[in-house]
Amino acid sequence: MDSLGPGNSSSASEPGRARARRLRTPAILYAIALLVVLAFLFALGNRNFLSAYNLNTIASYAAILLVVGLGQMCTILVGGIDLSVGGLMSFISVLFVVTVKVIGFWAFPLCLVTGALVGYINGNILTRIKIPSFIATLGTGGILMSLALLVSPLPVVAPAALYGVLDIVNGSFLRVGNLLVLTLLIFVVYYILLRFTVSGKSIFYVGSNITMSWMSGIDITRTRNLAHILSSVGASLAAIFLSCGQYGGDPSLGKVYILNSIAAVVVGGTALTGGTGGPVNTLIGALVLAVMENGMNVVGVNAYFQQSILGAVIIVSVFLTFDRTKVSMIK
Amino acid sequence: MTTEKKEPMFELRGITKSYPGVVALDAVDFVVSPNEIIGLVGENGAGKSTLMKILIGLVQPDAGTLTLRGRSVTLKDPADAMRYGIGMVFQDGSLVPNLSIMENLFLCHEIGFRKFGFLSRRAMRETARGMLERVMVSEDQDTRIAEVTPAVRQMVEIARLLWLSRLYGQANPILILDEPTTVLTEGERDTLFAILQSIKKEASIILISHRLQEVVENSDRIVILKDGRNVTEMPASGAQITDIEQQMVGHAFTADRYLEDEQIVPDDEEKVLEVQGLAKRGAFEPISFFVRKGEIVSLVGLVGSGKEEVCRCVNGLAKADAGTVILGGKKLTPGSPSDAVASGQGHIPIDRRSEGLALGMTVAENVNLLVLARLRSGLLVSPARERNNATQWIEECRIKTPSAGTLCANLSGGNQQKTVIAKWLSSQVKLLVLDHPTRGVDVGAKDDIYRLVRKLARQGIGMLVMCDTLEEDLGLGNRMLVMKDGRLVGELDCPPKRKPSPKDVIGLIV
Amino acid sequence: MTGLREKVEGGKRAGGRIRIMLPLGTAGAWLRRAGVSGQILSLIIVIAIFAIGTRGRFLSPANLQVILSLAAIPTIIAVGVHQVVVLGGIDLSVEGVVALCVVFVGLLLRNKFNANDVGLWILPITLGLGGVAGFVSGICNTKLRIPSFIGTLGMSWILWGLAVFVSRGQTVALLDTRFQELVTGTVFGIPLIALIALALVVFLQIIQDRTRFGRYLYAIGGDEVLARQAGVNVTRIKIVVFTLAGFFYGLAALFLSTRLGSSQAITGNNLLFPAVTAVAVGGVALTGGIGGAKNAALGALIVTALNDGLILLNVNPYAQEAVNGVVLVAAVALTIDRRKLGFIK
Repeated sequence: MDSLGPGNSSSASEPGRARARRLRTPAILYAIALLVVLAFLFALGNRNFLSAYNLNTIASYAAILLVVGLGQMCTILVGGIDLSVGGLMSFISVLFVVTVKVIGFWAFPLCLVTGALVGYINGNILTRIKIPSFIATLGTGGILMSLALLVSPLPVVAPAALYGVLDIVNGSFLRVGNLLVLTLLIFVVYYILLRFTVSGKSIFYVGSNITMSWMSGIDITRTRNLAHILSSVGASLAAIFLSCGQYGGDPSLGKVYILNSIAAVVVGGTALTGGTGGPVNTLIGALVLAVMENGMNVVGVNAYFQQSILGAVIIVSVFLTFDRTKVSMIK
Repeated sequence: MTTEKKEPMFELRGITKSYPGVVALDAVDFVVSPNEIIGLVGENGAGKSTLMKILIGLVQPDAGTLTLRGRSVTLKDPADAMRYGIGMVFQDGSLVPNLSIMENLFLCHEIGFRKFGFLSRRAMRETARGMLERVMVSEDQDTRIAEVTPAVRQMVEIARLLWLSRLYGQANPILILDEPTTVLTEGERDTLFAILQSIKKEASIILISHRLQEVVENSDRIVILKDGRNVTEMPASGAQITDIEQQMVGHAFTADRYLEDEQIVPDDEEKVLEVQGLAKRGAFEPISFFVRKGEIVSLVGLVGSGKEEVCRCVNGLAKADAGTVILGGKKLTPGSPSDAVASGQGHIPIDRRSEGLALGMTVAENVNLLVLARLRSGLLVSPARERNNATQWIEECRIKTPSAGTLCANLSGGNQQKTVIAKWLSSQVKLLVLDHPTRGVDVGAKDDIYRLVRKLARQGIGMLVMCDTLEEDLGLGNRMLVMKDGRLVGELDCPPKRKPSPKDVIGLIV
Repeated sequence: MTGLREKVEGGKRAGGRIRIMLPLGTAGAWLRRAGVSGQILSLIIVIAIFAIGTRGRFLSPANLQVILSLAAIPTIIAVGVHQVVVLGGIDLSVEGVVALCVVFVGLLLRNKFNANDVGLWILPITLGLGGVAGFVSGICNTKLRIPSFIGTLGMSWILWGLAVFVSRGQTVALLDTRFQELVTGTVFGIPLIALIALALVVFLQIIQDRTRFGRYLYAIGGDEVLARQAGVNVTRIKIVVFTLAGFFYGLAALFLSTRLGSSQAITGNNLLFPAVTAVAVGGVALTGGIGGAKNAALGALIVTALNDGLILLNVNPYAQEAVNGVVLVAAVALTIDRRKLGFIK
């Protein structure tokens, strides 16, 4: 009925404008407030919360969340989602440890290229075969999971002789763990990519309004492929970091990160509708989740019950950030 | 066609409805008598659609009374209107495509067919057959709607409305048909009107159409709206089409509104756009035209004339079957908007909210979209240059916004439109296609947009425009191309102060 | 009236293309209307390939019995999922709901862990539990207006966490064998559980074909806006569909745990993927509006036959999920209606 009369568009714009006004207080402020409140509460409840050791634990966990979350964020920003990060992380984890035994350092670039390739395939299933990303990545995630089990059905341990290579991640630099330094580096790279390059900024335009982007000459196929590549690379990096930290690969390592990565993104205030949010949001989101998990561990909340809380947190965050003016029907 | 005086069956008096910035209906009266076909005509934006939306309860009037069968009523929603026996056949259809004809006929009103909680197929089939015979549909009732022609769909919708009014015990229902013939072939059109004439015996029909010929031939009474007001009404027998046309466009023609003084004479030498033998099956036949540097060419025609499709092919949004589009001497790749944009073509879409802007992003980000590559220093996009570019164009286009960092969703319609224009201007386009640039924009912003269009022409940008009203088309354009039924049927020069009047043109269009 | 005749013939012509593929008269017409011809063909191809590949072992009565018995539970789950897909959404909460129901079966039925014994009451309890979970998913989707894929994903994790939390990660052996006998029994050589699944499919198919609920379900799937315009209570239908899906998961959980004779949360793992694959393979388009219970059941049968055949051919069991993944993507690619989606995200 859109074709009926001039009044239609102007009347429809009214509630739209009212809703959009709500966006003026960026979601990130809520996320920061949540972070501060959580940290404050846990610090009050537990004297050791602010100890160097505990802060380091939080930071290490947040680092992994941040790296996989930054990737996930790219697909969410472009308006899709990547459910294959779990399978991919499991696969890369075993692949990394198996190959590092043979080719040493070269396992790092090999795994990253493999990850990028997976992202490229995910992207093309979306853009060329035209299957919605959530189902396409559910499928590829399953495939990757089974590939991981084919490579090694059981966890593999990295031999002690290789600890030197793993020190690229496990070592420390000026008393700061390499993991944190590398994560910071990755954050900066993603930040620059998304905020200061034409391709990266296109991700926001496409996510915000794909029809307009297409009409304005943005290459929407390339942009969405890029988002999926960035996602898979992030997941691969996180898998490598985790495997180094555990001195071994594990085919079941990835599964929890499907949900954790989405949680880090949406808790930070990046909307599932695409186009709004960004790397800083994900940083805050990862910190919130890490503090939450750490705090719950200290307080003694059952580890599995924490998964339940995470599920609820995602639903609440999506509820708060989802831009309903953009979609007429919620399917 | 009898014109005997009857008791009115539905009476609308003093209906007023306004939207922010626009008065859609201003004290309109509308009377429906039993067993008649009323032709409702008027230009785009005359208020026909709003009036119909009020008739079917989709929109509530700000003022005015509705009297149905002698009793005052308020219609809460279309379902409510349906219970009173008022229903509408929409232009784009309201049947669910994956259900069968029969399932659509009775959708949501199957309760009478239940036996022990299950629907009795036999009873439904019999009723459906009866209803379909009334509207002369011989398709099997189990055929899916997606598989039948638009003509059959229309008939099924009519049958559904008739059945519903019978279900609710409403004698003489009111059927509203919105441009029913645009999707029909010549033969189907005759069938439709034959059926309408037979249905008339037990119903009133309101026919909205741009095709005056068929309105005059098939209705009993013609009601003309202009600018949200009643102009006149007349019996259809003996009505002259030219007379109706004159009433539709009216006489109020203000020359300076469109800044005709500023209209420039384009340079004959340089053609920005050349379209040669462009054709798309089912949409338009081979068409050739050109746009010169600094020239404004308005493309006019009815819905279904093919003008929209021509523009989509020029923009690369659709792929033409044959012919070439040459922009600034370069042949464009068909079906590639990125090639069209890269070659210097801009497009102001009709629906700026869904096609023109990233509403969730800031004014600056929207303005800078096309020029990001130019705003780089080194490999990276420079925030300072981004800011400067945005500020410059916000001033240039007089976008009223608190800051460059305001979300586009928070701007008014006019300023959103100016943001779209600013985006294209900053990318230094050679050709702009403006698709209804003033749709849904308030009066002040309209003037700003006209001023901007003139300024663009002075800068040498060629423009292809499709406007809301004929007046606007004539006022803005240097030249006018008229399309009808997929063909280019006329070309008129529109020199300033000596513009053809809408009356002269409308004959070509309809 | 000539125009009318033209368009009538035009309509016939449009249908003609499909008709040529099925020259089998009434059987062909039924298949065309039922929309399962492609699925039956795929099933025949799968059976033929494995029958040849295993030199007939695939068609041995014992193996057919295994396939039927294995297909039952995926069928029940797929039948639950498919109605959500018909609406145009998806339900990813299967694993969580099943895990929680399984854990409650273990804790409430006579077991080795505690003194509870609710006996046959376990049936309404698990169904109710599943139904409540589905109801909440439905509320998330309709009232909180959260897209179903993320809402149900969140639900899945909430329930899975609860399941492990409640069971403290333990495996509980069941002592009540009544359900086990029911589940493992056979009638004339046909597994009873397969017959139960079949009965459910037939029942739901009749509901879909012959009641107003069915009409509204497909109307929403076809075009939600038009359905709402016509007066369909979209919210209510959606909630009912999610709740029904929960019932089916609850039932599947009861059968799963009683068949195993024990209960643990991880019983719920690896159920989602075959179910979604079955739905897609069955020809239920992800874009909504197409495919019924029979499609979901046929899809589950095809997927089970495929996996069983691969086992007979000694394909690495870990490779099976990869095969399922490829099948899923291919099936979605074939059934999805891209015109309806505009730009795919």
